Amino acid sequence: MDNKGLSLTGGPFLLVLVLVSSLLLCKNVASMPTCPSGAVSCEVPLGDLFDRAVILSHYIHNLSSEMFSEFDRQYAQDRQFITKAINGCHTSSIPTPEDKEQAQQMHHEDLLNLVLRVLRSWNEPLYHLVMEVRAIQEAPGTQEAPGTQETFAMQEALSTQEALSTQETLGIQETPNDILSRAIEIEDRNKQLLEGMEKIINQVQHGVRRNEAPSPWLGLPSLQEADEDTRLFAFYELIHCLRRDSHKIDNYLKVLKCRIVYDSNC
Amino acid sequence: MDLWKLLLTLAVAGSSDAFSGSEAIPAVLNRASQSLQIVNPGPLTNSSGRPQFTKCRSPELETFSCYWTDGVHHGFGSPGAVQLFYIRRNTQEWTQEWKECPDYVSAGENSCYFNASYTSIWVPYCIKLTNNGGTVDQKCFSVEEIVQPDPPIGLNWTLLNTSLTGIHADIQVRWEPPSNADVQKGWIVLEYELQYKEINETQWKMMDPVLSTSVPVYSLRLDKEYEVRVRCRQRNSEKYGEFSEVLYVTLPQMSPVPCEEDFRFPWFLIIIFGMFGLTVIFLFMFSKQQRIKMLILPPVPVPKIKGIDPDLFKEGKLEEVNTILAIHDNYKPEFYNDDSWVEFIELDIDDPDEKTEGSDTDRLLSHDHQKLLNILGAKDDDSGRTSCYDPDILEADFHASDGGDGTSEAAQPQRLKGEADLLCLDMKNQNNPPGRDAPPAAGEPGVILAEEGKARPLPLGETESAHHAAHAPLHSPSPLANIDFYAQVSDITPAGSVVLSPGQRNKAGIPQCDAHPEVASLCQANFITDSAYFCEADAKKCIPVAPHVEVAARGEPSFNQEDIYITTESLTTTARRAGTAGPAPGSAMPVPDYTSIHIVQSPQGLVLNATALPRPDKEFLSSCGYVSTDQLNNIMP
Repeated sequence: MDNKGLSLTGGPFLLVLVLVSSLLLCKNVASMPTCPSGAVSCEVPLGDLFDRAVILSHYIHNLSSEMFSEFDRQYAQDRQFITKAINGCHTSSIPTPEDKEQAQQMHHEDLLNLVLRVLRSWNEPLYHLVMEVRAIQEAPGTQEAPGTQETFAMQEALSTQEALSTQETLGIQETPNDILSRAIEIEDRNKQLLEGMEKIINQVQHGVRRNEAPSPWLGLPSLQEADEDTRLFAFYELIHCLRRDSHKIDNYLKVLKCRIVYDSNC
Repeated sequence: MDLWKLLLTLAVAGSSDAFSGSEAIPAVLNRASQSLQIVNPGPLTNSSGRPQFTKCRSPELETFSCYWTDGVHHGFGSPGAVQLFYIRRNTQEWTQEWKECPDYVSAGENSCYFNASYTSIWVPYCIKLTNNGGTVDQKCFSVEEIVQPDPPIGLNWTLLNTSLTGIHADIQVRWEPPSNADVQKGWIVLEYELQYKEINETQWKMMDPVLSTSVPVYSLRLDKEYEVRVRCRQRNSEKYGEFSEVLYVTLPQMSPVPCEEDFRFPWFLIIIFGMFGLTVIFLFMFSKQQRIKMLILPPVPVPKIKGIDPDLFKEGKLEEVNTILAIHDNYKPEFYNDDSWVEFIELDIDDPDEKTEGSDTDRLLSHDHQKLLNILGAKDDDSGRTSCYDPDILEADFHASDGGDGTSEAAQPQRLKGEADLLCLDMKNQNNPPGRDAPPAAGEPGVILAEEGKARPLPLGETESAHHAAHAPLHSPSPLANIDFYAQVSDITPAGSVVLSPGQRNKAGIPQCDAHPEVASLCQANFITDSAYFCEADAKKCIPVAPHVEVAARGEPSFNQEDIYITTESLTTTARRAGTAGPAPGSAMPVPDYTSIHIVQSPQGLVLNATALPRPDKEFLSSCGYVSTDQLNNIMP
């Protein structure tokens, strides 16, 4: 009797609960293109997927640039980290095209897979980056310089209309304005971009999957160095690499979009 | 020498297993870079005169070029000895050796141009400048960091709209990205910044960076010329490219008359509102509506008080002044209470002489004169006899006929006035033949009062004022000789008010009443035919003779001069005049002054009783005029 009563009353309640929770969850998650309801198997149009991927990559590159400028301004100015990009990034082993011709000549499936590989390679470093930046900001010795809220030129770089459209599409509540928040945001968006890329590849490759191993990242010990200068230099380089790779991915995706979606008639 | 060492170590390190030994390389390179830094303090100073890199630039992310300064030659060889070498890192390893610049020409003098085949994006480069074999400068960079696009081309503008006032306009400025930048395929993303200013200004106005190639510019003045220029940069970079060519914007002149935007005094508004206000004021001023007029322009109250003759003050006759003031209803000295009889009593006590000499009638008469004067003079707006009550006439008459010696000057003119009034009344009386001639039949007995209730009681104030008037000593009855009194009800207004007309004239109070029959007739006549409202005293004179038909022979001379009651149309302003013509000085009998209503013979009239003058019986001697019904009931036997 009790169970029956519970089930009778609990059913609608559970349904409501599910609906509400899904709504709440959906709020935070940027609305990915979804299939219209009722369709058994559908494919979101590739153009929509690419549009969304481009927006995400654009946004990630903006955040990375801002983060780099912020870090440079805060920690690197007086330390003279002149060695910019002297050392390779951990993703250098992935043979990505290095100029426009190479990008245009490469097959789009290969390029897509390369992008995917690079994105996967950044999962782990981003995770540790967040952890270590948090540790750095909480460390007494390496407090942020006063007035670290907004960076200058990078903030100007993110023009108003761009920011607004990005915010609208991605459902950004607050623009991150310090290193840690940006790092966290980048980590999240990177995962979303990864999902999007996998969808695109599924459509392009019709389900054929290539499981290529991502580049390992071995820079964790450097990030946890006891020596402050060494540690900060490790950060500097990691963030520099992040900026570069996000620029790469952004460019590749835009080229691919033009090629695949518009048949090179952009 | 240090430099060569470092490079050697680099080469050695690079040749080894790049990937596994990647940890070692960073350290080496770190030290190398630091030593490099020490060697080259920076391109800030060129004091040593060595060639230095000024900048390296990639306009479209496909090629790049580097520039340097020549420096001052300290006796070095030909300038051509400067060389540039570069090294590039492929995947994880550096190339083995430095390579020389592929193109010294294309980018101009003292430059090195790397075309697309030599350019790798996202790849670190190091370049060095040598002069006769010696490195003078070195620099490391990545191509995507040195992007500085060419200026946009093809600027043009179109008019969007103009404001309604014809002063401002909006335009849309369009341009094209630089031709070498492959924006279409998305290889490079450019951001544009527009600047504009008026031609004769010095400061450029900047707009926010935009990603699109057209932007609206708002609020440009139509009578000015503007300059517009655009520059662009790679998105997320810091360095802008060069500015485009200046675009001159000449807006069409829409309004022929140049409008001044300065503040002009709003004459127009002031005139409009002024006219409006004036019309409102005039409307109200000449409006027939009294209420609005009263609201907006309340009338200034005009004093209606005659005022006091300042001579009184000079002579110090305060009593007269008091009298004058006492005439007015509002003036009540404190010790006067509502009981006017009490006051009357006091008066009598104060002046015993007056009592014996003159009757109250006389006193009242004299007072009544004053009162008459004042009342007639003051309240003349309702009666139709205004001409008689012209103060000038009154005063003139009284001054002429004054015979009083003891009277004050104040009382005199008033009495004179009263006389004048009475004269006037007498004239009317002539028109209205006195009741004396009328047959002494009980034709018109008494006062005809349609309704007793309608007759309004005298205002208590007037009653009191009569007594105030009584204050003034009665000096001589003789001035009363020429006074006419109202004695007869000449008309009854529809409202029920009684109009009294003057009774017989009594120039000399006594002689007229000498004859008994006369007196009797007088009495009766007065009593009956005059239809006057008598004082009780007077009425009582006649009573012993007959209730209301016969007239006793005793008819006092004083009775002749009945109590005269003056009234205007409305009884509310009835002025009581009680008084006789003054009893014969030799008459010892006290003349009844007041008459009470003995019988109400409706509709024929009232029979008035003349009450004796028992002083104690004061309550009936109140107003020689209208006796209220209560008093009447009291008086009635």
